[in-house]
Parts: sequence; C-alpha cells; structure tokens
Amino acid sequence: MIKPLDIAAGSVLFTALVLGLLVPPDAVQGDLQRIMYVHVPSAWLAYLSFGLTLVFGVAYLRTRRIRWDHLAGASAEVGVVFTGLALVTGSIWGKPVWGVWWTWDARLVLTAVMFFVYLGYLALRRAFEDPEVRARRAAVYGIVAVAQIPLVHFSVVWWRGLHQPPTVLRPGDPQIDGPLLAALLAAVFAFTVVYAALVSRRAEVGRLEDRAATRPADGAVAGDGISAPPIVGGGR
Amino acid sequence: MIRHVRVLLAAHMRDERRAGEVGLVIIPFGVVALLVIPMAVGIDTPLLDRIGPGLFWTVLVLFGVVVTQRQSATVGDARRDVLTLLGVDPAARFAAAALAATILLVVFAAAIALVTVVLYDPAIAGAAWLALLVPLACAGIAMVGTIAVAVAGGLGSRSSLAPLLAVPIAVPILLAAAQATEGLRAGAGILRWILLLAVVDVVLALAGVLTARPLEES
Repeated sequence: MIKPLDIAAGSVLFTALVLGLLVPPDAVQGDLQRIMYVHVPSAWLAYLSFGLTLVFGVAYLRTRRIRWDHLAGASAEVGVVFTGLALVTGSIWGKPVWGVWWTWDARLVLTAVMFFVYLGYLALRRAFEDPEVRARRAAVYGIVAVAQIPLVHFSVVWWRGLHQPPTVLRPGDPQIDGPLLAALLAAVFAFTVVYAALVSRRAEVGRLEDRAATRPADGAVAGDGISAPPIVGGGR
Repeated sequence: MIRHVRVLLAAHMRDERRAGEVGLVIIPFGVVALLVIPMAVGIDTPLLDRIGPGLFWTVLVLFGVVVTQRQSATVGDARRDVLTLLGVDPAARFAAAALAATILLVVFAAAIALVTVVLYDPAIAGAAWLALLVPLACAGIAMVGTIAVAVAGGLGSRSSLAPLLAVPIAVPILLAAAQATEGLRAGAGILRWILLLAVVDVVLALAGVLTARPLEES
C-alpha cells in the first residue's frame, strides 16, 4: 500500500531533480558540478541518519520500547546506503576534477571509516536473535559510534587536503550563487523526505520480522514426518 | 567503587599473568608484523625511517584490539553472576577491564617501540611528549576494545565481530597519535593532537561508564 509520505517523497525528489537540471551550470566546473545535487544531500543524510540512530538508541535505553530500536536500525541502514552513495558520487566527480577515483584526503578516508563503523553496527544487529539483547547492544554501540560525525565534518578544517571546506554550513555567508544554492537546498529537502519514507518503511519491516521470528510455528514443519529408525540389537 | 575497581584490576592482572597471552602470544605476533612489513614495501632504509612511527601506531591499534580481546579478559556468566550478587557496579567492572587493558597495552607499546627503533631506526624527537602520548592512546584503544568486547559478548562470532566494531572507532586515536608524532619530528606544536586524544578518552570513558549497566542486563 502506498502511503502519503511515499507520494510526497517521490514528488519532491522529482521536483529537485528537475530543478537540478534546469539551474545554470557552474562557472568553473560546468555540468560536472550537478553531481553535487546528489553528493551533498547524500552526505547530509549520512550525518542525519547516524545522528538519529543515536537519538533512537538513547530513546530505547530510556523507555525500553522496541519501536525505537526498529527506527534506530532502519536509520542506520538507510544511512549506510546514503554514505555509500556519497562516496561513489564523490569518486565519480573526483576522477575528472582531481584526476583520480580516490585520494588520501582526510574527509574521504574518515567518511569511508564512518561507512565501516555503521556496517559493523548492522553486522552487530544481525548477530543477535533476541530483539531485546540486540536493541541494548546496538544502542550502546550507536552511542559510541556517533563520535565519527563531528570528526568527518571538521576533518576539512583540521587537516589540509583536496576536499573543499564547508560551502553552505560555514561561518559567515554561504560561498555559492543564489540559484545553485536554491537547487542544492531543494535536493537536501527532497532527500530528507525520501529518508523519512525509507526509514518508516524499513522500521515497519523490522517490526514484522521480529513478530515473525518470535511467533510460534502454527503449522507442520518440513521434516516433521521423518523419524529415526529404531535401533535394535544394541551394541556388542 | 574504587575498592571494587582495585580488586577487579588485580584479578585481571593475575589472570593475565597466569595465561601469559600478551607476553607470549600478542607481543611476538606484533614483532612478526613489524618484521614482515619491510619485505612488502621494500628494504629502503630512508623509507623505513619515514614510515616507522606510522607503522608503530598502526600495529599498536590493530594488535591493541587483540589485547583487549584476550581470553583472560573474558568474564564468564558464572563470574558475572557472582559479581552481580556481590553488588559490584557494572561501571566498576568496565573501569577495571579498561584499566587492565591500558596497562597491558602500555607494556605492548613499550615492547614494539623498542623493536621499531631497532628495525626501522626512526629519528626520535620529543621523548617526554611521547611518554604522554603513548598512555593516552593506549587508554583510548583499551576503552574502545573493552566496549566492543562487551557489546559482542556471548556471540560465537565475537572474535571476528569485535575487531570490526573497534578498529574503525579507534581511527581518530590513530590519526591524532600519528599526527602528533609527525609534528614532533617536524618541530611543530602538537598540543591540539594531545587535546584531541584527551577528549576522545574522556568521551569513551563516559560512554563506557554510562552504558555499562544496560550491557550487563540479561
């Protein structure tokens, strides 16, 4: 069943896509710069989703309501997808501009590290069968893991590298032309709505998975009819 | 609580003394790693001098996680139940485990530092700063590893999962320590890297103490 949030996500994403294609190209990079309308919102969603993984984890530890854990897991999963997208789009942009697919820049390396931290988080979640134990352990790891976010964000300030410093989220005025900024903000908004739709769906799937896993089997299971042959005669 | 930490720390050290896992297994393994790397990158003395300190920190982080995962650090269900019945705070258990791991890591770091100097002959500067840097880095690695081991506790895949959980989180420690060492060699200020290490340690200590109780629940 399609929810209103799904329709809203599809609509704003389409609008942002059209806007991103209609705004004038960058004065220096030309059309290549348009990849930023996917790269920057993906990076923003990585921060948002991992930050919210922490918030949902803390909410679970305080209330012990399992729905917070489903939201935390969903948020981390969506965050890993968008972090991967940010890395891939950055690499595609980097090849023509920097001349390499990958460079040992602090922002790149730390983003890749953050990706693996949350892959570990997802591996941890999959390792536990008991939903309560999984929720507790994952919430604790989510609290420790979130320290990566400020490190990734400020890496361009602390280390000199190829990656440009913050353009929009910087002290003072944003260093970007008006129409380009509007397209970028529209893309950020659209991706955020898509994130909300995906997390909502994934959390629901998580809830159904838990219910299916804990529900007793109500029918015959394959192999029920097979029994071991009786051992007659005994050993020697 | 301090008395509990002291008693538990003594128990951890006694367990390790009996098992000898760090001294007889992990230190030799770290030395082997330092021996093997030059064969992979080429026996180029100036290059080895340049990369020596970085390799030291890399080996410390990677093998440091193994130190935190040692068998003598594993608290079985029976011991945990007894400690719970005795009213020992889970935060005291975390503090004792992290402290024991820190001490063992400093020993491990001293051993591999000696081997790094002998094998790679790096130019050493700011020995007093290094004496501060190494325990700070060891404390951070110890706390990350202790938390990871607690989080993955009771799992069959613990030995493979805990390093995946711990090593990426320990990257800021590796970065700060390596940058500080480079700063010392270049004669630059390293105060901000020391500060970053101290902040990471404080954040990890708070996280470990505050989350110790939920991790102990069964």
